[in-house]
Amino acid sequence: MPQTDARWYQIGFQSAFLLFGTLVLGWQQEWWRLVLIIATCLSVQVFFIWRGLQNLQSFRSALITALGLCLLLRTSEWWVLVLAGAVAISSKFFIKINGKHIFNPANIGIVAAIFFTGKAWISPGQWGSDTLYPISILIAGFIVCYKVKRAQTGFIFLGILFALEFAKRYLFLGWPMDLVLHRFSSGSLLVYALFMITDPMTTPNHKLARMVWATILALLTFILSARYQIYEAPVWALFLLSPFTPLFDKLFQANKFEWKQNTKVKLYETQK
Amino acid sequence: MNGNKTQKLNYMKHKSKFLLFAIFTLLYGSASAFCGFYVAQAGASVFNNKSEVIIVRDGTKQTITMLNDFKGDLKKFAMVIPVPVVLKRNDIRVMEQSLFGTFDNYSAPRMVEYFDQNPCQKWDYESDMYENLKASSRSSMEDKASSVYKREKVTIEAQYTVEEYEIVILSATESGGLEEWLKSNGYAIPENANEVLQPYIKDKMKFFAVKINLEKARQMNRQYLRPIQITFNTPKFMLPIRLGMANSNGEQDLIIYCFTKTGRVEAANYRTIEIPSAKKIPTFVQQNFVQFYKDVFDKNYEKEGKNAVFVEYAWNVSPNWGVKCDPCTGNPPIVQDLINAGVGWIDAQQSYTGNVFFTRLHVRYSREKFPEDLTFIETPNNATYQVRQIITHPATGDFQCKEGITYLQDLRTRRRLELQEMQAMAGWDSDEYPFYVELGDGTKVPVEKEDGQNRNSFPVWFHGNGAPPSWLLPVFLLIAASTIYLIRKWKWRNPISTELR
Repeated sequence: MPQTDARWYQIGFQSAFLLFGTLVLGWQQEWWRLVLIIATCLSVQVFFIWRGLQNLQSFRSALITALGLCLLLRTSEWWVLVLAGAVAISSKFFIKINGKHIFNPANIGIVAAIFFTGKAWISPGQWGSDTLYPISILIAGFIVCYKVKRAQTGFIFLGILFALEFAKRYLFLGWPMDLVLHRFSSGSLLVYALFMITDPMTTPNHKLARMVWATILALLTFILSARYQIYEAPVWALFLLSPFTPLFDKLFQANKFEWKQNTKVKLYETQK
Repeated sequence: MNGNKTQKLNYMKHKSKFLLFAIFTLLYGSASAFCGFYVAQAGASVFNNKSEVIIVRDGTKQTITMLNDFKGDLKKFAMVIPVPVVLKRNDIRVMEQSLFGTFDNYSAPRMVEYFDQNPCQKWDYESDMYENLKASSRSSMEDKASSVYKREKVTIEAQYTVEEYEIVILSATESGGLEEWLKSNGYAIPENANEVLQPYIKDKMKFFAVKINLEKARQMNRQYLRPIQITFNTPKFMLPIRLGMANSNGEQDLIIYCFTKTGRVEAANYRTIEIPSAKKIPTFVQQNFVQFYKDVFDKNYEKEGKNAVFVEYAWNVSPNWGVKCDPCTGNPPIVQDLINAGVGWIDAQQSYTGNVFFTRLHVRYSREKFPEDLTFIETPNNATYQVRQIITHPATGDFQCKEGITYLQDLRTRRRLELQEMQAMAGWDSDEYPFYVELGDGTKVPVEKEDGQNRNSFPVWFHGNGAPPSWLLPVFLLIAASTIYLIRKWKWRNPISTELR
């Protein structure tokens, strides 16, 4: 069955989130910011396409990165947006091991903007906590992840993180269940889990490796947020774990069957 | 806008009017709440409604000043607040109430007044006015010193007398023991406090318990409760509101004045939203701005699903920074006010250097909609913001000229829009002010309406009373998915993907 490139779905869903957030949830977002991010990401991508480093289809990936930045990154300075977009896209071409880029572009863009400029931030509370939002994001996320065969990564991450939060808040501390659910209904977390860490280009190739990888990511996120009170913990966790992805690929290479299967997935070019 | 001099001039010019709306205040009832809960001795009924908190955040150092509007018999006043560490004597101070007045006056939602110029006359007459004051009252107090003793599972970590307050810092291993201790020491614990105390105990929080020292209070002849200020280090930037909900009926208002080095403070676990500002509203609202803003707040609170945090003011108030509001509703906080609040990084000795960003947040919370304590983020966002509504007085005099006739037509159009704006913002029925468009008269005429008649011509989710309908997101996503599906199916049949495969 000929399949629609999952990236189209991702672009569609992320645009829908953005429209919804801007029109209904009232995110303070001027339209020129969105245009600036998208324009930066696409122009940097054009540069690399022109240098012959990518094909035309890679525009889709650049657009996904741009939309990811629009959804998560907040700043009051225009140049921070340009920097984030430029770092995000260039990282795909400069930071590579064995032909595979290390960092999720949107992730490294956000990290660069927050860490180097000090003028950017993330608003984890921007989605509010209506129960329908998380459910919708979960379903949309599942469609995209399923298409790139990365659903288990996102859901293992969410599952383990939920289990840890549940164990800490509900079982250990004894808060009521609605507190745990409230913590977990953060739209930003779900968008991150299902649209960023499931990036097939920067997750390990082997299925088992990805499961271990997602588990470690969840643990790292939990530790960073619970122990060190870092509110943008998921972003930092992914940034810290990404350099180890090649190691996962190396360790889990032995299993040829799985490797082949995943190579095929890789050929779909569903990179983000 | 006008410079400071003009403002001052206008201020003088309209001093009489000024007094008229000197009562523009944001008073939400008389009772009060806190981050902790008010506990009273058995039988005393305490209704918590509003509290004010100043938070100064500098790295991990946090200074919290709490003002309570406790209205019961002050000898029954007692308060318990969870704190992350055992506070030292020097970390606890008693401040003057005026500190809150300064910050409140300065950051409160405001109204600005403009005057049209008569197009048929030549002289310039422009003005800029505003006012917002705050009134508050307190009741008297009296108390007997509490006797403190150790019980099983409860440890008294420290015990201080700080001016008129008796302070005990407790740690506990089990909520039952803590409850028993508090009860036997005259802290009436609400029935359902236990479920909230337990998580704090498990989280290794300490309990900061406050009562009035009768003798000292009598000596000082205090007739009201002064704010208590505590300073401690914690990586958690949060306010424990859950305890305050244990004995409250329904909703409570909390005004938070935040001072940080970098920029705005926003909630990490709830939505942070700006109240609509710079709207042109009818001139008669001037007489009742307090009620108007209350209604605007109510409406926004409902619209945002009752679980949002609202920004009411955000501005750089560094001593060396220029204009800090437009217009200013009160005297700017002086360096000493900031230092009293706990801003320790401005250099008062030399040139008042240091960046201070002031964010005023307003939360109305209830147990159902705020299951989790408020946590905050200090963002680098230094965009300025204030709640500021505009009224424009028409020109006076003779309009017997071509421009004058056009002006009067435009004026009517403007007034119709102002009425619509008023209805959209505060839900006041514009039909009740039939004389406003023609005469500028804000006389209210009750209008009989059929029940359930929706007079709002705007989409419900935009200006209506309810929360934005949550079904909109699934609808958005469905549209996105089907669009992509249809495009792919009808057109290219994905030649690229096929090629690659």
